[in-house]
Amino acid sequence: MTAAVPDSRMKPTDTTPMPSATAANDTTDPGAPTMIEVESLDFFYGKSQALHDVTIKIPANKVTAFIGPSGCGKSTLLRCFNRMNDLVDIARIGRGEIRIHGVDIHHPDVDVIALRRQVGMVFQKSNPFPKSIYENITYGLQIQGVKDRRTLDEVVEKSLRGAALWDEVKDRLHASGIGLSGGQQQRLCIARAIAVEPSILLMDEPCAALDPIATAKVEELIQQLKGKYTIVIVTHNMQQAGRCSDQTAFFYLGKLIEYSKTEKIFTNPAQKQTEDYITGRFG
Amino acid sequence: MKSTTAQPARPIGEALLNRNRFRLLGLTPDEIIKYFFNGNAVVAIVVLALITIFLFREGAGFFGQNMRNLRIYRLAGLEYVDFIRRQVDEHTALNRALNESRLAQFTKLTAAGKTVEQANEGLTPFDAFATAFGDSVEDVRGVLSDLTEAATAIKQKEQVNHDRLEQKGMLLGAGKAEEAEKITVTPVDFAAETVTLKGAFPAYQEANRQFAAKLGAALASAPAMPDAKLQRQIDAVKAKGQALIAAIPGTERAMQAWRHDEPIPLSRSLTSFLFGRQWLTASFWQDWYGILPLFVGSLLVSLIALAIAVPLGISAAIYVSEIASVREKNIIKPYIEFISAIPSVVLGFFGVAVLGSALRALSQLSFLSWFPGFPMSERLNSLTAGCLLALMAVPTIFSLAEDAINNVPKHFKEASYALGANRFQTIARILVPASLSGIISAILLGFGRVIGETMVVLLCAGNRIAIPDFTEGLGAFFQPVHTMTGIIAQEMGEVVNGSIHYRALFMVGIMLFLLSLAINYVAQIIVRRYRISIG
Repeated sequence: MTAAVPDSRMKPTDTTPMPSATAANDTTDPGAPTMIEVESLDFFYGKSQALHDVTIKIPANKVTAFIGPSGCGKSTLLRCFNRMNDLVDIARIGRGEIRIHGVDIHHPDVDVIALRRQVGMVFQKSNPFPKSIYENITYGLQIQGVKDRRTLDEVVEKSLRGAALWDEVKDRLHASGIGLSGGQQQRLCIARAIAVEPSILLMDEPCAALDPIATAKVEELIQQLKGKYTIVIVTHNMQQAGRCSDQTAFFYLGKLIEYSKTEKIFTNPAQKQTEDYITGRFG
Repeated sequence: MKSTTAQPARPIGEALLNRNRFRLLGLTPDEIIKYFFNGNAVVAIVVLALITIFLFREGAGFFGQNMRNLRIYRLAGLEYVDFIRRQVDEHTALNRALNESRLAQFTKLTAAGKTVEQANEGLTPFDAFATAFGDSVEDVRGVLSDLTEAATAIKQKEQVNHDRLEQKGMLLGAGKAEEAEKITVTPVDFAAETVTLKGAFPAYQEANRQFAAKLGAALASAPAMPDAKLQRQIDAVKAKGQALIAAIPGTERAMQAWRHDEPIPLSRSLTSFLFGRQWLTASFWQDWYGILPLFVGSLLVSLIALAIAVPLGISAAIYVSEIASVREKNIIKPYIEFISAIPSVVLGFFGVAVLGSALRALSQLSFLSWFPGFPMSERLNSLTAGCLLALMAVPTIFSLAEDAINNVPKHFKEASYALGANRFQTIARILVPASLSGIISAILLGFGRVIGETMVVLLCAGNRIAIPDFTEGLGAFFQPVHTMTGIIAQEMGEVVNGSIHYRALFMVGIMLFLLSLAINYVAQIIVRRYRISIG
């Protein structure tokens, strides 16, 4: 979980007028249909506010990157999309709405379990279960009650191929998932996430703990996956955001500062803060 | 130039040295702290070693003494007489069964509205049968009591001799040779002595013939019973009576083959302790030191305790670590942990004063009478003790299991939820398997806690030294037992220092010690070997 942002950082300390996020939003690609729609979201951990009036539209079947310094609320927002924040006792939404496929995900009729099947997640630290590779991948199906061996076998192969891991592990599907290398573990987690066929894939700094070679493989995988899935990726690595994403959102102190096409953010940012951050002047 | 380059070097070097550092007995504070903790560890190890050595030193003497005990049992012919005693005891047990069945019939008749006189009258045929049955063994009993006296006398002689020898040894040791000379020891001639015992064999055979005839006649005259249940009881008595008659030739053969000087293997000293079914002390006849009834009692009580404490402790641990809100957690945790602060004697007191009676009252409710073993005959039994021990084991199991579940990395849980698992699935498929080693060791340590507990079992287990009758099925859990810890606490204060009884209690202590050691060792192995590696 993202650590609660210290109170002091939440106060609007800088005197420069901050343009409203919605204004910066207008540069979104109008052609793509919207998958996730966030409207004036305020989010709190206890008394400290982690997100301020965030409004963003995430297009379907594209890669959207969230960047910003630590504690800026990008992971918090990501975890709102599959309601992982429900697991944190003190987390709550103050105002605003999140719609996926046009449905408000906090509506009382929404089944959070069905939601999480639609919105898969890959974590910063690769976290395969202490079970075999096979069991790791079939876990999501087995908890849905799928028992048919052939279906499971097919899903395992399809998911592992999808995560570009099949050739490396096909001979040891029943070995422990923990015995894999870090990069393989992370791809196993991606395979596990796509095994339940979600439409959205959330990635919370998926390469933060990987070496450059493993990172390259995961990035390549992201490129392959984006045709089928709407991918939202949180990253600290600016180059990674530049390489992988179609859209980039820059967050700072819980506010969405700028959101537009990736080339534009990196070549011609509209906001001074964005420019300062991507050029390494702070953060 | 020379001096300016050399001079600054000195103060810098000086600054590195601190000659005025605080020292105590030539030790710096760091060293004092180090030796302090070092010393503590050494003291703990030394004390543990001393206790172990002491235990084994005191206990080891048991084997020699027990060997002597067993040897005299044979030499003095006690073993020979016990052939007959067993026969008589079996008969007595059957007689008791008949008495119980009479009581049952009597209550039934009075409940049906008969007066006491009428009821007694109705039971006349049964009484005639019971009397005939009881009297049939009289002749054998006569032989038995004669032989008992004779054998006891032989044993007495041997004991006197033994005491004299010891006295003599002590006098010699003190250098008083003259006084030692005055003590004369005439060794007991066991061969001659036991001949008189064996001389009674024809009389015994004659008594047996009478016994068989009378018992057979009595069994044939058994009256029919008013209902099926009582009829079954009587039939069982009749079958056992016939078996008693059938066993006579075998017993006689065994007695004829018996020899007083047959050697006893050395291992018997150990096996009679480990597998002996009797713990009988300060008896006029023969003492037995068999740990089995105590061991079974300890085990039974512990199993009852674990059967209650494991589900409670582990589900509480799961609840507190996964389901409870922060507020609930802050209430539940201290409460459960507070239980371990209750002194065990207070719990035992509660068991004697409240729980025992409450459980028995519960078992007497008529709608529960289908339950095997209900109603309980004793207020204090293994269930009473087991319930209280469960209370003592819950905090141990709870705390350790909760730690184990909390130690499961949070990201396993998150991954499970992110894949659409509900809370129950996450607990059952991820958290519990991942923390299983910790949970198992929690159970084992709970077991260790329970089996070593003394006060509660001493007060509440009923303290009857006998292996529970497992033929009663679940009823075995409602019988009074005695435990290894309880017997030490109860008897240690009364025994003569250095006697066989004293050493036997130490042997029980050693067994407890080894048992706890084994439990702790296994628990540690499990935790170490099956700890999940966090990738």
